[in-house]
Amino acid sequence: MDLTVVKGLQSEVYVPITPPPVWAPITKPLNEMVIALVTAAGVHLKSDKRFNLSGDTTYRIIPNDTDSHDLMVSHGGYDNSDVNKDINCMFPIDRLKELAKEGFIKGIALSHIGFMGGGGDVKAFVEKTGPEIANILKEEGVDGVVMTGG
Amino acid sequence: MLVQRAIEEAGIPTIIIAALPPVVRQNGTPRCTAPIVPMGANVGEPNNPDMQRNILRDTLTQLVEIDTPGKIVSLPYEYTARV
Repeated sequence: MDLTVVKGLQSEVYVPITPPPVWAPITKPLNEMVIALVTAAGVHLKSDKRFNLSGDTTYRIIPNDTDSHDLMVSHGGYDNSDVNKDINCMFPIDRLKELAKEGFIKGIALSHIGFMGGGGDVKAFVEKTGPEIANILKEEGVDGVVMTGG
Repeated sequence: MLVQRAIEEAGIPTIIIAALPPVVRQNGTPRCTAPIVPMGANVGEPNNPDMQRNILRDTLTQLVEIDTPGKIVSLPYEYTARV
């Protein structure tokens, strides 16, 4: 039975399109990998410039030797009350150090990166911010990245 | 996810810990873990290092175990924020 009554009709309702897959293969076991954290949660040093809560495509470097009490969040897109109590619930820097100490991973990158995700200037994130962050991680010899956001 | 995809395109494998897995799926994540958490506490309850460490450990394990782009693995940890 042919269910098509009129040929060539298109939906006027916008439907989301998932982009094509991206994939970088794993080349070594975890205990040989150097790991970096990258977060969209708006994490940065207290001494650093805050993000513009109405939209910001810049990023902040977070040195791995930072004390987690010297970090804070500026992000207008989610309830900050949990992360204000404990930065690790969005940026698990202390937990990552514990896992490195027990040998679960080989080591931790010298720098982590924070930015304010959740929308904004998509073109800038895709064409500028994303590639710039990727470049920093490449230069530091990072083998794998754990992100938080979404 | 835009930044995650950019890092992945540069050749570095990535995984994201997400509170909103459908959003992450829609935006084309390569790898994702999803504990049962609210936005803003993706790595688990504040001041609960055991839960946070387990979520991070399981996420790192999935970084090397997920073998299909776009796969989202649920993690058996639950935290409900009291608001």
